[in-house]
Amino acid sequence: MLGEIGDFIVTEVSVGIFALDKTYNVLVWNRFMADHSGISAENAIGRNLFELFPELPQKWLSKKIDSVFVLRNFAFTSWEQRPYLFPFRHNRPITGGIDYMQQNATFMPVRDADGEVSAVAVTLFDVTDAAVYQSMLKQAMAKLEESSSRDGLTGVYNRRFTEARLIDEIGRVERYHHDPFSVVLLDLDHFKQVNDTYGHLGGDEVLRVVADRVRGVLRDTDVFGRYGGEEFLLMLPQTNREGAMVVAERIRFAIGSETVQFNDTEIRVTSSLGVAVYVPGSQNVEEVKQQADEALYASKRSGRNRVTFYEASQAA
Amino acid sequence: MARKMLIKALPASWNVEITQASNGREAVAAYHAGKADVMFLDLTMPEMDGYAVLETLQHEGLDSFVIVVSADIQPLARERVRALGAAAFIKKPVDAVQIERVLREYGIEL
Amino acid sequence: MTAELLLSEDQRDALQEVTNIAMGQAGARLAQILDTFVHLSVPRINITGSAQITQAIEHMVGSGASITAIRQSFGGTLHGEAMVVYDELGCRNLADLMGYEDDMGQAQERELLLDVGNVLVGACLNGVADLLNATLSFSAPTLIAENAGVDRLINTQQLTWNYALLVEVRFTLEIRDFTCHLLTLMPEESIIQLKNALDTFMDNL
Repeated sequence: MLGEIGDFIVTEVSVGIFALDKTYNVLVWNRFMADHSGISAENAIGRNLFELFPELPQKWLSKKIDSVFVLRNFAFTSWEQRPYLFPFRHNRPITGGIDYMQQNATFMPVRDADGEVSAVAVTLFDVTDAAVYQSMLKQAMAKLEESSSRDGLTGVYNRRFTEARLIDEIGRVERYHHDPFSVVLLDLDHFKQVNDTYGHLGGDEVLRVVADRVRGVLRDTDVFGRYGGEEFLLMLPQTNREGAMVVAERIRFAIGSETVQFNDTEIRVTSSLGVAVYVPGSQNVEEVKQQADEALYASKRSGRNRVTFYEASQAA
Repeated sequence: MARKMLIKALPASWNVEITQASNGREAVAAYHAGKADVMFLDLTMPEMDGYAVLETLQHEGLDSFVIVVSADIQPLARERVRALGAAAFIKKPVDAVQIERVLREYGIEL
Repeated sequence: MTAELLLSEDQRDALQEVTNIAMGQAGARLAQILDTFVHLSVPRINITGSAQITQAIEHMVGSGASITAIRQSFGGTLHGEAMVVYDELGCRNLADLMGYEDDMGQAQERELLLDVGNVLVGACLNGVADLLNATLSFSAPTLIAENAGVDRLINTQQLTWNYALLVEVRFTLEIRDFTCHLLTLMPEESIIQLKNALDTFMDNL
């Protein structure tokens, strides 16, 4: 009785069900599998799965199936790691935005009377809908993250995000022995006067233009953030002292070479910069920032509109 | 419970006095007290594990017939306890037939 | 806590031994996968209130640790959830130990954590189930924490149980820094099932 009903359910259920023996020959092939693959049960049963589907990742999949025979344990695949096993079409051809049906699979040991695993039964779930929602959710999260990592006025990263990238980069240097990175602190000279003379609108315009000019000389991998009122921090990955000094000098030049147009006036802006290199193993985030800050202070002290590299002797 | 399971599996005809130890330290103490002509030794124990017990016994000239009874079925575990002087290795859950066979193999009178 | 949830000394002892036997099988699998010797810990058993669950887990895996963890549900005669918690080094060294190259993608790295976790959970819980004459089935493993704090494992704001049984076993390697904890958690009604199964197990000894 159960046999008949069981057979009916296996055949008709809208979940992929198939079973394999130890040599990957198909023992069971339900309608879902037949409909989506275009290979009927008559044509599938008794044949080798990898001959039927040469495009399957054989090395990986056979290992998975073998593990069920050997370990007598369930095994799983998830669309999050492998979007699909079989290149089946899905039912959202218009709204899906996904190439093939996203699939989760469960591999179950089928034991014979002696407790030995004689076959592996596989259920294949269509999780395309879940995958579509998940990817929509991820996009929304990324947007949210992006907007919460930016400074509203200048569009460059905010302080929190910049500091987090600094910590990440230290991790990369320490863990994967990447080349050291440099930190540049930038402060606009006499910015208070700009604000006093042209009002906050003038000051804001200067900050926006300065940010654009700095962006113009950076590489994609450089991290550029607004650190305080008129202070900016740059993290230049895999950049040594010489490289960092060249970039800092270019930034200084880019900021000061032209005036900033505000209403009918031209505002002249210059900047002072301090540069420090992160030395693996010997520093933390605070220390390297502190060093860049001391170098920046040295630039201010010696007349502004210049770049200074941090020297240990300055600290004394 | 491990001890209870083991004692249940010992041959009924075997006329011996049984001393129980709940960790490695107690086992070594029992050995020092001359209570361990035959020792059934677990490996995973609090205080002092089975390897440490074997090392201690070996260091002191091992005057006991040690049968390791463990759930650790790594081949290397078996090799290691052999190297440390254990006479035999029986995997958990223990089986009366196997224990009897090991004891007879070594000519222990039952 | 009601007395019916407490394990008697004998039941606790039996559970510890059953877990010990089962983890031996899981440890052997792990040793096979990693091709190295695996140290097994003495299983720790704890019944904990929902408010103390994070603390109890921290006590076992270390507080302030940055962990990566997978979880899996099991059902059948016993039901609950299992977690495999990798410490920071364990997580990083896993791919290395298995002979993968550095440039392994993130998806593959996650798949590896899920696969190894699944093997440990399956071997250990199937071992327990076999000894206790229970049958279990498992859900797919999912990643629940990546380089996060222990407090990420369980959202204590929304728990529907008061007490849970927590069983922990630990696998460590001697050649490399690698530790992973296998935690098995069962809610109240499953504890009662487990107690019955343990009693039957002891009666049949």
